[in-house]
Amino acid sequence: MEINKQLGSPASFVDQTVVPGDVVLDLSTMTNKTIKLGGGLRQDCDSISVMKAGKLRSSKPNKYWVESSQKRYVPCVEDTILGIAVDSKADNFLVDIKGPALAFLPVLAFEGGTRRNIPKFEVGTLLYVRVVKANIGMNPELSCTDASGKAAEFGPLKDGFMFETSIGLSRMLLSSPTCPVLEALGKKLSFEIAVGLNGRVWVNAASPYTVVVVANAIMNSESLSSTQQIIMVDNLLKSIQ
Amino acid sequence: MDSRLANSWRLTVNEKNFIKTALQSEIRIDGRKPYEYRKISIKFGRDDGSSEVQLGQTRVMGIVTTQLVQPYRDRPNEGTLSIFTEFSPMADPSFEPGRPGESAVELGRIVDRGLRESRAIDTESLCVLAGKLVWAIRIDLHILDNGGNLVDASNIAALSALLTFRRPECSLGGEDGQQVIVHPPEVKEPLPLTVHHLPIAITFGFFNDESISVIDPTHNEEAVMSGRMTATVNANGDICAIQKAGGEGVTQRVIMQCLQLAIAKATGITKQIKEAVEVYNTERSLRKIKRHPTSVGTIVQGGQTQTSGKEGVSESPGNHIERLKQLSGETCTSQSSEERKTTSTDGNAKNLIRGPTTWDPYSKGVGPELLKTSLASQGTSMPNEKQDLRNEKKPGEAEVEGHHPEDANPGSSAINESLTGLQTKKERTLEDAVKPKSKRKKKASSKTGAS
Repeated sequence: MEINKQLGSPASFVDQTVVPGDVVLDLSTMTNKTIKLGGGLRQDCDSISVMKAGKLRSSKPNKYWVESSQKRYVPCVEDTILGIAVDSKADNFLVDIKGPALAFLPVLAFEGGTRRNIPKFEVGTLLYVRVVKANIGMNPELSCTDASGKAAEFGPLKDGFMFETSIGLSRMLLSSPTCPVLEALGKKLSFEIAVGLNGRVWVNAASPYTVVVVANAIMNSESLSSTQQIIMVDNLLKSIQ
Repeated sequence: MDSRLANSWRLTVNEKNFIKTALQSEIRIDGRKPYEYRKISIKFGRDDGSSEVQLGQTRVMGIVTTQLVQPYRDRPNEGTLSIFTEFSPMADPSFEPGRPGESAVELGRIVDRGLRESRAIDTESLCVLAGKLVWAIRIDLHILDNGGNLVDASNIAALSALLTFRRPECSLGGEDGQQVIVHPPEVKEPLPLTVHHLPIAITFGFFNDESISVIDPTHNEEAVMSGRMTATVNANGDICAIQKAGGEGVTQRVIMQCLQLAIAKATGITKQIKEAVEVYNTERSLRKIKRHPTSVGTIVQGGQTQTSGKEGVSESPGNHIERLKQLSGETCTSQSSEERKTTSTDGNAKNLIRGPTTWDPYSKGVGPELLKTSLASQGTSMPNEKQDLRNEKKPGEAEVEGHHPEDANPGSSAINESLTGLQTKKERTLEDAVKPKSKRKKKASSKTGAS
């Protein structure tokens, strides 16, 4: 109760939409507390104000940040994303990751990769990769292995269908516990799915019909709440049966 | 170069294969059947002759304007029709600003041919002075979002804009009957164009497997398909134009099938366009009826909005419209409008709001007799003098004004009318003309309460 009173201001804003300029916290009322600010928040003397439009989120004990959904991806280290092979050079493949610049995928960044068995990707191959380096102004670097050097499902994806969504939707799809839309779909249909944090989603199933249903259900679920998502999926599945 | 590479849209091998395999089982990636159209929504702007069409994700805006020009030598009795397309870079990463590319020119040509060759628009009625002056109709098509099938959406946008467009009426006058007078819309009602029929463009996409054809392809399908054909037909079953520019060859049988399908779809789309235009026309005529009291207010709107901005008065749309209404009451004559403008630039818009509340004859659409009786009941001489001056001018001007384009929402203007009507019922004196701030806030709150 006491904590709630102390956190009066931010608690009222948490999980709500905020716009740049909103003051979410007044530090003059709090003493001896450490608060960690994430992206989208800024300290102006005694007040914390918002810099980015989005939803204010917090996690215990004292982390606050603003989450927003865009279409353009900003590469971050250790993100798993879906890229499209654009070109191959001597040392790297050039991969499009929906970011400000093309990313480089070294030809040796595969499990058991040597100069003798360099994989060949034709233009337009979909790759599930991990971001290794992401600095401003430089092309990001990718890898098809996990930190310990194993393949771990990275690499080219065969068949299936890829569609693009916003960053917020792909984050929601990857949240744990499982996102309601995926859970509801998984109860009735069997499919394989790969979600990239850069707003690309790949779906594969035995019949093209299932793929189309899953893809459209996911694309429609961005602005819906959990119960609405479940209802939407139920209606969709009922109408097709 | 690198950023251009990063920004362009790419299709994966997976998508290409999937679209083709799904089509084998007669499914399209957005869940449609092969011969199903996407949802079409037609919206109109406030001005005559502007439309925005949304076909799924594709958005096109059509604007029609007209100008008096000299006719072509070989057609001295006919007006002209020209189409300009603009592929805005915000619609697609591959659209570049500047000169129209090949697809932009092709799109303009298809829409143009559909309208011109089939004589959908009666160009002879656009003639004013044979051999000297005719109306030149110009259609501007702006592509706002490319979700596939720009041709069909642009065609519908052009047709909707043409159906709602009104050209000014003009008459011959002057000493020798050769001078053309163009009447502004306030004086004489502008005329619609004579459109004989509606040519609708329907686009088909063909895939490598010859037997697969789809109607209304999306952006992804357009990247995968190997041939396309656009058939412009009308609801009567006439074929106005066919365009097949290269691509996969198709048999005669497939073309006949496509044409029959196109005619079936065209009837549905024609009906939709006509319904949307109907709704717009009724709304437009409703607007004209209610526009009477606020017709003068719009003239001074420009000046007043600036001052209200300077004052930093936060205004709800209701407030703004009420201010307009009140100003309309007092600014009939130019001299009083100057007065008002100077006072408003001094930042005294509050006084302005005070003054006209004492007098609003149009709150119930009353006649001149009731006006005089209501003025008589309002007391002191000074406001009465001003009001009489205004009153005399107002009925005269009102007849002339008639159909000024309006900014106020008909709904809120109705609310305004009822509120100001209530206010005029109380007895007012000169003191009421100088109202303290509290009264304005009370009115503002009652405004927001009502709206």
